[in-house]
Amino acid sequence: MASALRSAILRHIRVPATQVVSANGSRLTAVRLMSSHDDHITKDEVINRVLDVVKCFPKVDPSKVTPEVHFEKDLGLDSLDTVEIVMALEEEFKLEIPDKEAVRIESCEQAIEYVYNHPMSS
Amino acid sequence: MASPSRVEVLTLFRSLLRTARDFPDYNIREYTKRRTIDGFRQNKDLSDPSKVTAAFSDGRAQLEVAKRQAVVYSLYAPKVKSVMELKQ
Repeated sequence: MASALRSAILRHIRVPATQVVSANGSRLTAVRLMSSHDDHITKDEVINRVLDVVKCFPKVDPSKVTPEVHFEKDLGLDSLDTVEIVMALEEEFKLEIPDKEAVRIESCEQAIEYVYNHPMSS
Repeated sequence: MASPSRVEVLTLFRSLLRTARDFPDYNIREYTKRRTIDGFRQNKDLSDPSKVTAAFSDGRAQLEVAKRQAVVYSLYAPKVKSVMELKQ
């Protein structure tokens, strides 16, 4: 039943097979839309954006923030603040950091490394 | 029930913050986040194991409520964004 219907419909449908040709006559090259390798963010951009997130945190003195700073030892934050900062980083870079890895991020340096090496960060 | 470890408490804190993000309504999303942070801050100096355990199980119950309500609220998501969500 279904196959008879299918062939009846397909017999009446014609999709023209055309080739896409650009203005200068060359065929368009395929673009790797879902690829994250070509447009991966640079290390400098990661550093700047991570530091911005940390500086925006209310309890942090922005003048103390450097790429090497440790959240608890240098900035006087506690473990709850650290969780909040890691969550803010997730939102900034559109990541989902698993709990096991989130607990290991305790300094700007570790955060920068993690985000830079994450293939999905954007 | 034994009193929860440090990692368990932080995991509950993180789970509540993650659930807060799921609310489509700005005001409720921000309220849930604020309420989570305030609640953990308020109890951060608890030392009596029975009080710690009670606060932890209360937090777990609240997590279940938040998860359920995030689903309910997603069915009635606001049609317009809050003015607070607009980028300058």
